[in-house]
Amino acid sequence: MIICRCEEVTYKQLTETAEKYKCASRELKLRTRAGMGYCGGRTCRTMVDNIAHSFNGNERDCAQLTLKYQPPIRPISFGDLGDVKK
Amino acid sequence: MSKVIIIGAGPAGLSAAITIAENGLEVLVLDEYMIAGGRLLGQLYEEPNGNWWNGIKESKQLYEKALDLGVKIQLHTAVSNLEKIDSSWVIYTATETYYTSHLLLATGATEAPLPIPGWTLPGVMSVGAAQVMTNVHRVKPGNRGVIIGVNVLSSAIAMELQLAGVQVACITLPKMSLVTKESGNPMNVMNSLLHVSHMAPSAFVKFGSKLMKIEFMKKMGITFFPKNGVKMWDIPIMLRKAVIEIYGDNEVEGVTMATISPTGEVIPGTEEKVQADFVCIAGGLYPLAELAAVAGCPFYHIEELGGYVPLHNERMETALEGLYVAGNITGIEGAKVAASQGVAAGLSIVHNNGTSNQEQNIKKAIQDIEHTRDNAFIQFHPAVKEGKQKLQHYWEEHLNTVKDMVGN
Amino acid sequence: MTKRIIDHPILGKLDDTDIISFTFNNKEYRGLKNESLAAALLANGVRTLRSHEESGAPRGIYCNIGHCFECRVTVDGQQGVRACLTPIKENMVVTSNEKLLTTVRDWRPENE
Repeated sequence: MIICRCEEVTYKQLTETAEKYKCASRELKLRTRAGMGYCGGRTCRTMVDNIAHSFNGNERDCAQLTLKYQPPIRPISFGDLGDVKK
Repeated sequence: MSKVIIIGAGPAGLSAAITIAENGLEVLVLDEYMIAGGRLLGQLYEEPNGNWWNGIKESKQLYEKALDLGVKIQLHTAVSNLEKIDSSWVIYTATETYYTSHLLLATGATEAPLPIPGWTLPGVMSVGAAQVMTNVHRVKPGNRGVIIGVNVLSSAIAMELQLAGVQVACITLPKMSLVTKESGNPMNVMNSLLHVSHMAPSAFVKFGSKLMKIEFMKKMGITFFPKNGVKMWDIPIMLRKAVIEIYGDNEVEGVTMATISPTGEVIPGTEEKVQADFVCIAGGLYPLAELAAVAGCPFYHIEELGGYVPLHNERMETALEGLYVAGNITGIEGAKVAASQGVAAGLSIVHNNGTSNQEQNIKKAIQDIEHTRDNAFIQFHPAVKEGKQKLQHYWEEHLNTVKDMVGN
Repeated sequence: MTKRIIDHPILGKLDDTDIISFTFNNKEYRGLKNESLAAALLANGVRTLRSHEESGAPRGIYCNIGHCFECRVTVDGQQGVRACLTPIKENMVVTSNEKLLTTVRDWRPENE
């Protein structure tokens, strides 16, 4: 079962990684690439968070943001980014 | 350079724009969609007084009123980043950079998914996607669909699909997993529905009261819930079945369902196939606050508000100077609450800009939000008010921290 | 059989008179002027908008409001355009993104 649609990261990969490392959401993301694809994790972030929290007690109590947002939040071409005029 | 910039042309963003323009300031609204209105566009339901709430009409009215007041609304414009340089907020889009000292984030909500094996097949879409296809674009998402996820949003949209002549085979649960958790547990789902029926918005009266009348059901939980569901507008709501797979070669052909125990365990041997040419995933909404995060706002996870929300006060000011929030970015509620928050945010901006003293109007606008909330037809979370109180508490904590820092 | 909802009990009748044509993967389709590309294709019975770059699995619209990027296609030579929020224009040329010829090295532990 796919969790991250962009990178095709599966539920099995995520739960096994989370179980092995008992890591924070961010580490789970970096280890599996879940949430690092085209959409920027907008679709799967709640699921990646939930899986990490299921295996990692520390983070669950934390009211604050566990999975960082990073710009650009929408894909942007290098041409636009570098202000290259066509 | 426009004085005020608003990101998001939904009910909150447009209401704020109108309020600000009425007070004589220039406003620019940015939105990435092709039509103004945000999630309001798709909404269509009958209010208790018999009037239909038509999101397209409501959106159009807000949009035209804003335009009449001279508000600039730029659609097809996605914001990719923002940052504060000196005392200006800098907003980046693919082609332009904008500067403002007062920035309102009204980016609304996004849908949480419920993963099911096969959910990447074409024909599987979020329930909101089906709503927009049906009501805004007037194209059927398919002829016969299955909706996975039983909640306020999915029930309302099921009714809208039915209204447009799209058959909904059933609304049912997802197979339980670490990700679907509460949404896959019949007992939890039923309890949350009882909360809703208790408030008795008419959409739920038939379904909810049916359950409420059967007193023992509450005591025995979900054990005696009919296997083939309870019908609402002729759509079976199945709390004792779950979709365990969506199948099809290159697109959706149907789903495999199974009977589940009151705690959500699949009962082996009960699998059956249900044909469908589309499937909706209804995991509920959560605040879309990525721009507030990028800007550096502190965040708090508040279940009653739908997830992580940027810290803000009743005046819709965030902890960062010149940055405001309104609408579903502050918690999942209906469009009318969002609009009233937009008015409050707009007044705060006018006041803070020094244009005119709005102290009295802001107080009234804050009361209006409360009033709108109390009279809301659809409430997504029964304890939204507690959620708001928690946030207010975090805000006071934040103020004390700031005071301490200044004191030292 | 049309997939459009022409008559709606509350929303009224749909104006479906302003028809334009566009191509998707070299096939000509008709749609309503200014409707979204995703809506126009769905009205023509087209659900698959692209293939996943690595696995080649078919994908279609998911969120329909620009959040998920699952419906990205190439429009008049520009890649990564979201079909759900792009209005169709007369003679628009739209193509799918296909599976890439050379996949990236699979780095997952079970494939080491």
